[in-house]
Amino acid sequence: MTQPARVLGPVPSPASARAVMERLATQLGRAVQGKPEEVRRVVTCVVAGGHLLLEDMPGVGKTTLAEALARACALSFSRIQFTADLLPADILGAQVFHAQTATFSFRPGPLFRQLVLADELNRAPPRTQSALLEGMAQGQVSLDGQTHALPSPFTVVATQNPVDFSGTYPLPDSQLDRFLVRLSLGHPAPDVEARLLTTRGAASPLPSVEAVTGPEELASLRDFAQDVKLDAAVADYVVRLARATREHGDLERGASTRAVLALGSAARAQALWEGRDFVTPGDVRAMLVPCWAHRVLLRSAVQGVSARDEAAHLVEEIARKVAAPR
Amino acid sequence: MKRPLRLRLALRDLAVGSAFGAMAMSGQLPVWVLGVFIGALVLALCNVRLVARFSRLSALGLLVAAVLLGLQLTAGAMNAVVAACAFASLIAAQRMLSTPDASAEGQTHLTGLLMVAGGAALSGDMSYALFLIAFGVLASLSLALGVVEAAVPDGEPVPVRAVLRPLSTGVMFAVAGAVAFFVLFPRLNWAMVGPRSAPGFGAVSSAGYSNTVRLGGAGTIKGNPRVVLRATLTPDPGREALDAYWVGRTYDTFDGMEWTNVVGAQQTERQITLRPASDTLLHQRIELLPAYGARTLIALEMPSRLGNARAHTPTGTRYSPVQLQGGSEVRFTVTAPSYTYEAYSLPPEAKAGMSPALVQAERDQLLALPEHLDARVAQLAARVLQGEKEPLAAARKLAAFLQRDYAYTLEQAGTPEDPLAEFLFVRKAGHCEHFATALTLMLRTQGIGARLATGFYGGARMDGGYLLRAGDAHAWTHVLVPGRGFVTVDATPPSNRPSQGSVLLEQLLALYEAVEARWRNSVVDYSFRDQFELASKLVRPPRRPAGAPANQAPSRLPPPRAWVTAAVVAFVVWRAGRLVSRWTGRAPVLEATRFLDRVDAVLQKAHVPRFEHETLEDLTTRLAREGHPLALALTPLTRRYLEARFGGRALREGEAEHLLATLRRALDAEAARRAAKPAGQAGPTARAS
Repeated sequence: MTQPARVLGPVPSPASARAVMERLATQLGRAVQGKPEEVRRVVTCVVAGGHLLLEDMPGVGKTTLAEALARACALSFSRIQFTADLLPADILGAQVFHAQTATFSFRPGPLFRQLVLADELNRAPPRTQSALLEGMAQGQVSLDGQTHALPSPFTVVATQNPVDFSGTYPLPDSQLDRFLVRLSLGHPAPDVEARLLTTRGAASPLPSVEAVTGPEELASLRDFAQDVKLDAAVADYVVRLARATREHGDLERGASTRAVLALGSAARAQALWEGRDFVTPGDVRAMLVPCWAHRVLLRSAVQGVSARDEAAHLVEEIARKVAAPR
Repeated sequence: MKRPLRLRLALRDLAVGSAFGAMAMSGQLPVWVLGVFIGALVLALCNVRLVARFSRLSALGLLVAAVLLGLQLTAGAMNAVVAACAFASLIAAQRMLSTPDASAEGQTHLTGLLMVAGGAALSGDMSYALFLIAFGVLASLSLALGVVEAAVPDGEPVPVRAVLRPLSTGVMFAVAGAVAFFVLFPRLNWAMVGPRSAPGFGAVSSAGYSNTVRLGGAGTIKGNPRVVLRATLTPDPGREALDAYWVGRTYDTFDGMEWTNVVGAQQTERQITLRPASDTLLHQRIELLPAYGARTLIALEMPSRLGNARAHTPTGTRYSPVQLQGGSEVRFTVTAPSYTYEAYSLPPEAKAGMSPALVQAERDQLLALPEHLDARVAQLAARVLQGEKEPLAAARKLAAFLQRDYAYTLEQAGTPEDPLAEFLFVRKAGHCEHFATALTLMLRTQGIGARLATGFYGGARMDGGYLLRAGDAHAWTHVLVPGRGFVTVDATPPSNRPSQGSVLLEQLLALYEAVEARWRNSVVDYSFRDQFELASKLVRPPRRPAGAPANQAPSRLPPPRAWVTAAVVAFVVWRAGRLVSRWTGRAPVLEATRFLDRVDAVLQKAHVPRFEHETLEDLTTRLAREGHPLALALTPLTRRYLEARFGGRALREGEAEHLLATLRRALDAEAARRAAKPAGQAGPTARAS
């Protein structure tokens, strides 16, 4: 595991917070080239203290992105490949019996890392998914009646394949709701792909990623982001947006209260990109689709990429109709 | 030192002005005090602090004013309350024009309070209530702003709008509640029992009649412009000003100091209902206003009939019997703030042939002289008359002599032992009572019967009728002419007979009286009985039509007008409810939003509008993306707007103007650049332009 190259002090101002976020984005940009917007979203999600759901084809750099994030933030990292036979104990850990002392001790599983990559989450049975999702929601896991706290900061980057659904266990809506942001990296632009081919070949870009912050500073950055001012008018705007999704005819279910809170957190972190210590309606709209498109439920029975695009389209349409405060 | 807020000072000065108004409406403050204060108020409102550099000099001026007022007080030309009020006004004026520091603030507000108290002592009617409300509102706002201003650190802007909006709402609610309370309770007439002791203009306001006339007792009333009587005459003389005598009562006995009545008191109580009289009689419908303050009926000379007397008491209007007193006085038996009645008087040209039936005792009394009458009075009368024995001719000769050789004055100096001798032989100046007394007694010394009459002289046109002021109170002489009865002869110089108040003040007062009359008729005197009658009229079932069959039962349902009224009231209540809910539910217009509106207006003018639902933030981002030259100017402005609107960092004073000026300059520069370029090479523009 990579140790931080330098440990930065607590974040005192929006400008210094922005500087840290820019540095993080630069490092991630080395691993995932040609996706500056997506990289910014990932950083925003991490600073907002949320979990990230990456929906994409295999081979577009999801795993690389997660690993690069762990390196740039100097976080302990583990990758769990979710398969149909994966059991909760495989990720949580187990009680181990010591014959000499006739006692049990807890052996932590791969979940006990600061950044966990849950690869192809939808391939695991619901019980295993639930074990992961409890950890995401509570920051702790329960095993044999004992509670074990997860390390801090704790972030899950989960991936799903949006196309191949055969033999999978789609995440229940209530569990999708626990991901702050859903992103799709998509294929890089042709020129970027060509550049990758000529400059790097098959070599991993990860060694070029440097640790630019540490767990403590990241925790401090998250605390700072939570203190970003969200004016009553903006809060009212968020609530009106949520109500519009709930009243929209094409949506079976609109944004939940958790979705409202999530959007608030994401918008706060988004404000830091502009070096602001307050949220504007623009911040809200910037994070609206990444935050809510996976939380609303369409009336139509489409699935996969079409459903994702349709939901994003509906949320964007709602954002256009609901007047921002002025 | 922190610069004081202009608005707060203006509110303070206006509050003090209102307090001064409460006193000024009494009409008793000297004119020069009015002038000084109003001038100071105007200067203060224009932020001219005239005495800021000369505080000691102005304090000296105050001292001089205090001495002057004290002298007037000692000389009896001004009463103590008026002098105190005048001095408080001068202090307030000096404080308003001083440097607005903390001590001046406190003292200005304190003098405001003193003046309000002074206003209560001098007045107490509707005008006072209005000024009191104005003072309360303005002083509250000023003081509250002062508290906020003191709490704001130096250099920071005072959140005037944020403070004034809730404060004004609170004050307006308080005032509305107080006004509602004030309007509702007098209508129920729970606390209005008893006469109004000093209506309108305080202690000297009343032009009412006492049982005696003491020489030198009147004086200041001559300058009082308060309206005491309103009359409609039929036939209408059609003149702007009447030269008529309105008689109230007469006096037959003079003891050297004062006039009284000893004979003729009948004390008969009667209620007369007048019918239309002959065309030769002059009909008058008269209203005695609260400022009149007495129960004596007034009518044009010579009254022949009085009746239909109604007293407007706090519990409603009712008929009042009238009583005939000595001195031909007719008096209401009911005490009330105001009265209405009708009268018929002989026209001036029809007096011949009317001879009052006088008993011998009355005839004797018309020749009675005071016990210690100065002998020179008779000598003077004889010298002037030079043997003239015909009563009317003699009276006119004496009157002409008095008007020619004696001066009119309202100044009173001390209390002489023999006021008549003092007037005739020492001062040779006096007011109407002196002139009338002199003429009456001089006639009596020559064996000609005469008496003193008091009432009003004149009548100013107003709204088709005539009104008389307290200052029109007058005294004159009735000469007994055999075969004709009493004939009026007035020894007072004609120009000094009517009210001698300021013309401007009289006009203002007339306007005020008209408003107050409406107020009294529509609000204060609109009694519970009136309300009940109105409601009864509204809901009373319609009468059976004249042609309807006798066996047809009358309808018990309310008439259509009741339904219509109920529908209108319901609609009004519903609409008011909607308006109130919309108003209370509406988000407050913030300063930053107002700033945004101005930015929008500027952009609209420059043909750079925003798309629907596009925020300023979005527009700036879009322009920056498009490389529009305006993006550079718009970025700091947008950042500042967002900070002010959502970041809690309000725009500083003048900042909005500065930012807008920058934007305008950028727009002008862009317009000039585009004009300079050929049409085909125009640079990037906003898509919406």
